[in-house]
Amino acid sequence: MTKILLRDRLDDCITRWHAAGFEVIGPVSKNNISQFAAIEKADELDLGAILPGRTLKDLFFPQTEPMFRYRIGKQQIDTEEYLPPERQRIVFGARPCDASAMAIDDPLFGWDYKDSYWFRRRNETVIVTIACTAADEFCMCTSLKLAPDSTLGSDILLRPLEGNRGWLVEELSQRGSEALSRIEALLEKEAAKPLPPADVPVKFDLEACREWLQNPENFESHFWKEISMRCIGCGTCTFLCPTCHCFDFQDEGDTYTGIRRKNWDSCSFALFTMHTSGHNPRSTQSARWRQRIMHKFNYFPGKFSLNSCSGCGRCTRECPVDMGITETLQEITKLSK
Amino acid sequence: MTDNTQNGQENIYRPAIMNVVGKRDEAPGVKTLRLEFQDPVEHERFRQTYRTGMFGLYGIFGEGESTFCVASPETRKEYIECTFRQSGRVTSSLASAEVGDLVTYRGPYGNRFPIEEFYGKNLLFIAGGIALPPTRSVIWSCLDQRDKFGRVTIVYGARTVADLVYKHELEEWQNRSDIELVLTVDPGGESPDWQHRVGFVPSVLEEAAPSPDNCVAVLCGPPVMIKFTLISLGKLGFNEEHVYTTLENRMKCGVGKCGRCNVGSVYICKEGPVFTAAEVARMPAGDL
Repeated sequence: MTKILLRDRLDDCITRWHAAGFEVIGPVSKNNISQFAAIEKADELDLGAILPGRTLKDLFFPQTEPMFRYRIGKQQIDTEEYLPPERQRIVFGARPCDASAMAIDDPLFGWDYKDSYWFRRRNETVIVTIACTAADEFCMCTSLKLAPDSTLGSDILLRPLEGNRGWLVEELSQRGSEALSRIEALLEKEAAKPLPPADVPVKFDLEACREWLQNPENFESHFWKEISMRCIGCGTCTFLCPTCHCFDFQDEGDTYTGIRRKNWDSCSFALFTMHTSGHNPRSTQSARWRQRIMHKFNYFPGKFSLNSCSGCGRCTRECPVDMGITETLQEITKLSK
Repeated sequence: MTDNTQNGQENIYRPAIMNVVGKRDEAPGVKTLRLEFQDPVEHERFRQTYRTGMFGLYGIFGEGESTFCVASPETRKEYIECTFRQSGRVTSSLASAEVGDLVTYRGPYGNRFPIEEFYGKNLLFIAGGIALPPTRSVIWSCLDQRDKFGRVTIVYGARTVADLVYKHELEEWQNRSDIELVLTVDPGGESPDWQHRVGFVPSVLEEAAPSPDNCVAVLCGPPVMIKFTLISLGKLGFNEEHVYTTLENRMKCGVGKCGRCNVGSVYICKEGPVFTAAEVARMPAGDL
């Protein structure tokens, strides 16, 4: 017997979760952009898309967030922390690639020094993921050794049933079980067969790519210039990447009082690495694209045994000049043969 | 290598508040601030963790943070000294801080010079211009326990006489019989009363010809100086494994998360800033 969540019970689930003190968040279409936002009722959810336009990282590592307020006096400086509120949240309807991306970034934000902004939100959030039964030509999770029904990073995995009826429920973590216990009475118990996961073809040879990237001779390869020639350095691929984690600090305020913020930054920008002296270690767009690929598929896996990519494909899907990780790794696969 | 753990700090991005207790003009546009912790708990944390070679992020709220080495040695942990050139927004506001003002500090971060491994060895320090501060931190760490080391040679050069930093300490080192100090300025940078060498650091070093036997070299300077000095050290017979240097890159977090300071796969903030020349040679040159 397996547990089934019927679609027409979703409103009751949300009500019970709200009653238990959870904030419920899901993919909604807001200002024509599908993104994660708090919901009150099930009909606000936009579960039909292959993937929301915005990523799940917005919920854990927002585009901008205040870290603390400072107040400068003659003899003292007071700082007041803005740590995220300790509020239990349930994200309903994440995709496996987005959920995986959060687990991929955990070791980065916890590497010796723990980023309390990230971990506060991680520790208070239950991720309910819906396995993909459809994919588009940009999806590439299987190329990253993940799958349209990967469980990495998820607390509960839902597998869609036929006829849009509901989902088969898989508990994956203690946190997931806790959230499920609140809606236990609303679940059916029956033997049901879920729809098969989407067929996502493998687009490149990840191992061959890693080997090519690890070869020091290829660091100065002309390939980097050719492949990045049309990059306009807009940063879209980094901002819409669920695993991209680079940030900057900025102070907003006047001489005596203000807020220090943590903002997204991007390795695509020349200023990102520019020294005060004017020297820039990555002064060309090709050096910056090389950094992006090297970081995701060579340096990051070298440190954390995980690729810094979960194959969502947004970088390629949304690139204004039709570049992206897929093409680069396909070309590297060819070069390594 | 040191343990880089969190030390019970809840928010790793929240800086400590420091009193400016001393200020010195070193050279045109170059200043040294001496800072003391306002909070004894923060000071104790620094005392427990700071080792020579580590860096910090110094700042002024409203302007931001800048990364420099801790220029004072691990043998003197009652205060922090930092020396910087006034060039951007943060360094300009730090430069205008006066004794009695407050600034911020985050750190100490990064790795360290393995000074215990230098015990019993001869030491050669080579620095150029504004890169004397990181070298000076090692110099004093060794001079404060002088009997543990063999010969100490310091080769220091700057573009002009005015650009030499720590002039009062250069004088002190000059007068000590247990240090050989070689000072030089670039051709054209000498003043009428300049008593020392005129010439670039690599050639002056070759003339001074310190022996590589049982010797460790610490080399800090601008990239072009490092490049040619390494060639000279090679000619003198120094092994790259025994030459230590520091790398500096733009940083925001200082703790391996913000993603900008890496050279190849090496994060300067976490795995550096102290490297042997052999380690630097293994890094992709196109990323330096």
